[in-house]
Amino acid sequence: MTQSPTPPKAAYRPLSPHLQIWRFHMTMFASIVHRITGVATIAGLLMGVAWLWALALGPQAYTCFLTCASSPLGLVVWMGVSLAGFIHLTGGIRHLIWDLGYMFEPKKADTLAAITFWGAIILTVILWVALFSTGKVQVML
Amino acid sequence: MSDSYLNERSAKDWKKSHKHGAGEWLAERGTSLILLPLTLWAVWSGYQLAGQGVDAALAFAKTPLNAGLIAAIFVVSGWHMFMGLKVIVDDYIGKDGTRGFLNLLNLLFCLAVTGAALYALFLLVRS
Repeated sequence: MTQSPTPPKAAYRPLSPHLQIWRFHMTMFASIVHRITGVATIAGLLMGVAWLWALALGPQAYTCFLTCASSPLGLVVWMGVSLAGFIHLTGGIRHLIWDLGYMFEPKKADTLAAITFWGAIILTVILWVALFSTGKVQVML
Repeated sequence: MSDSYLNERSAKDWKKSHKHGAGEWLAERGTSLILLPLTLWAVWSGYQLAGQGVDAALAFAKTPLNAGLIAAIFVVSGWHMFMGLKVIVDDYIGKDGTRGFLNLLNLLFCLAVTGAALYALFLLVRS
């Protein structure tokens, strides 16, 4: 029975290892990307708030909103937010599948992570092809 | 048994988790499940409204069902966002004071975003 000479006063709370500690593997990459895309999707939520305020403030404010939203920079931001949002959405489905106890073996987990990434990319491409091909969104230079 | 961190205080801290840990876990999964259909609906609605003007958007947002779903998406997203940011803060910030402060800022930010959305929705539905 040895006693630590100076027992720590605060409770021992381990921190997560920082990003640079990990050797690359698929599920580690998926985990990091899930966090990054979750934070990036906040931009989409803020744009939703801006949309509601533009509507509430009247036609002039809404025209201003549409001008910004349809500008080239605005479109790039919408595309980024939609990609991040879809990656986080399919990543969320992946986590729910894992939580149910399915596809948790390392190889299957890697496959599932790859499927959810490709699914997100495909959903994003479909959305933007549809938006441009129907003329709902046009690039104004 | 000489682990220096096995003191009475940490044992008490661990025991807390059996009271609220499951609640947080369930809230994370529950908000994810609710947000799946809600965000897909939001993307679909945005797709429908794209390229249209203020009249179409106002008519859309004033419909009671749509207004209710918009309110729901901002409430559930705000909660989900708070839990997500809190997990990041808890994982990487070791100092108790800094962590508490950042989580307070996080709470205020998420409440402000949700509150701003609900207030704008309230104004435009009444207009």
